[in-house]
Amino acid sequence: MSSAPGEARILEGGYRRYDGVRSGSKGAIRSTTINAMQRALGLRRSARYKILPVLAAILAYVPAIVYAGVAALFPPNELLQNDFLPTYADYYGFITAAIVLFCAFVAPEVLCTDRRTGMLGIYLASPLTRTTYLLSKAASVLVVLAIVTLGPPLFLLIAYVLVDTGPDGPVEVARLAGQIVLAGVLISAFYSSLSLAVSSVTDRKAAASASIVVILLLSSVVTSVLVEGADATPYLLLADLFFLPFQAVLFIFGEAGPGETGEPLYSEITAPVVFAACLVWALVFSGIVAWRYHRLEVTR
Amino acid sequence: MADSPVPPPAPAPADEAPPLLTPTSIPVEGAVAGGQGVVKRFGSTTALSGASFTIGRGVTGLLGPNGAGKTTLIGLLLGLHTADSGQVQVLGLDPGHLGTEVRARVGYAPEHHKLPPDVKAQDLVRHVAEIHGLPTREAAARASDALWALGLGEERFRPIGTLSTGQRQRVKMAQAIAHDPALVLLDEPTDGLDPVQRDQMLHLIKRVSTDYGINVVLSSHLLDEVERVCDGAVILAEGSVVAAGTLDQLRGGADRGLVAELDVGAEAFVDWLQQAGCTVTVDGLKILVTRGRSRPEHDLFDLARDAAVAAGAEIRRIGPQTVSLEDVFLGVAS
Repeated sequence: MSSAPGEARILEGGYRRYDGVRSGSKGAIRSTTINAMQRALGLRRSARYKILPVLAAILAYVPAIVYAGVAALFPPNELLQNDFLPTYADYYGFITAAIVLFCAFVAPEVLCTDRRTGMLGIYLASPLTRTTYLLSKAASVLVVLAIVTLGPPLFLLIAYVLVDTGPDGPVEVARLAGQIVLAGVLISAFYSSLSLAVSSVTDRKAAASASIVVILLLSSVVTSVLVEGADATPYLLLADLFFLPFQAVLFIFGEAGPGETGEPLYSEITAPVVFAACLVWALVFSGIVAWRYHRLEVTR
Repeated sequence: MADSPVPPPAPAPADEAPPLLTPTSIPVEGAVAGGQGVVKRFGSTTALSGASFTIGRGVTGLLGPNGAGKTTLIGLLLGLHTADSGQVQVLGLDPGHLGTEVRARVGYAPEHHKLPPDVKAQDLVRHVAEIHGLPTREAAARASDALWALGLGEERFRPIGTLSTGQRQRVKMAQAIAHDPALVLLDEPTDGLDPVQRDQMLHLIKRVSTDYGINVVLSSHLLDEVERVCDGAVILAEGSVVAAGTLDQLRGGADRGLVAELDVGAEAFVDWLQQAGCTVTVDGLKILVTRGRSRPEHDLFDLARDAAVAAGAEIRRIGPQTVSLEDVFLGVAS
């Protein structure tokens, strides 16, 4: 009773012990962060989960590609004289939709899903703690948001430098790159904290996404109406969650303040106040997330 | 009847009879986990009030009605809660302080069977193995092995949402064992399964312990399944461990007494044993004899033999009194 070599089959693989090294908390954080990023971007998932990330990326990068193309086709002096190309701070105006879109669906995807599907209990039964779990998820949201907040301006900078429309000299390029990184991280961090806070309150992704958009738009409309229409103090604009980080970006690029072209409503508010407001909001939102997760029962 | 044995004098009655079962340690070599005087409160609610237990090697059932403290105990074993007082040890470590180290070597399958529906079984099991510290390649290989071993070889690349409840329970089991834990905690692993699937799952649980060498804590309120697969059990009621031990101990060894059926001489047989201090209950033809106040140095079967000789009784059947786990559970729970 013998089998031909090609007919041999493994019927029972058995069970092997694992005696190798375990990466502990660091490995758990790394794996959770990467997995959450993949999930948000629709990787390892069917095509329909890739639609929103691809759409947001198109919205964010297409203007940058168009401007880079224009810069490559026309002489630098002509473009600069006619102010055709937007400033880096202005560029965020083109990609607001992409940022809001990412902001509204990334955090709900990575936080709500774990609670709704019971994965949170499995995560916290691993070397992760509640804190490291939240840090992993926050890092993944931050990185994914940075794809639209950091990527396009950096792409523009590289493209402009290559076609001689960019800043002169390596020092200027480095300074501008630093400003872009700072602005991108600030917007990502602010919106990440907001979307994580909202996502920590509900298990339903759709409800969280809708709430994020409503909070952003409503805060902007209400504060603008009160300041412009009811002559309320301009400091109320610090509660405009939609525009506040963009105002901070204007300060980062030196396009707000006395004599600049920034948002006129903010003319009385100084840069430190705007940065402090961004920080306070981010801390408040992070506090909400921490409070919510500290109270969650995960073994049921 | 001159040669008939005389009943040995019973000692003076004690003020308080000892309980049938006490929350003792399971007599095993090298306990996997244990607790001593564990108290855990959530606000004004006391979830565990001085629980002492030992979880030995093999499969241990964690039994108790809803609200008994099973879930809290699992949370304490995982280091997700810290005991207000008392000590908990898992794999020789205090999970309250070394939770991450403990959880790296413990697998956990929660009670629910939702899991992310759009994730492939293989991806989920691999990811859980990774977060328990395995390198990516090793995690992928072991995820595949675990799913094959649990009978999901062909289905491992299907999204979990397309799997049946029984298959999802196996995915939960696979993610709990793929990283080669020393201990795996299974919370109601047969919940939602039909009888055939339940049978298969219980077989798998036993296999995880006997073939794979992984210690298992099985939280359940289904006594018959604990009786089928467990080597020992810890019974909780209202936050306390009311009984613990091997299943043989819990169901009754010699200390649980004996049951006899006699053809003739039952009345004299009973009288003789009662004079010897035994507690005797007559239930139809069955005579249930427990040690009562009889002297501990006297073997109960020897006393029954002497009683039968003295009474001239004819024994039809005699043997140790056994009870089901359900009887034990109802007894201690009440």
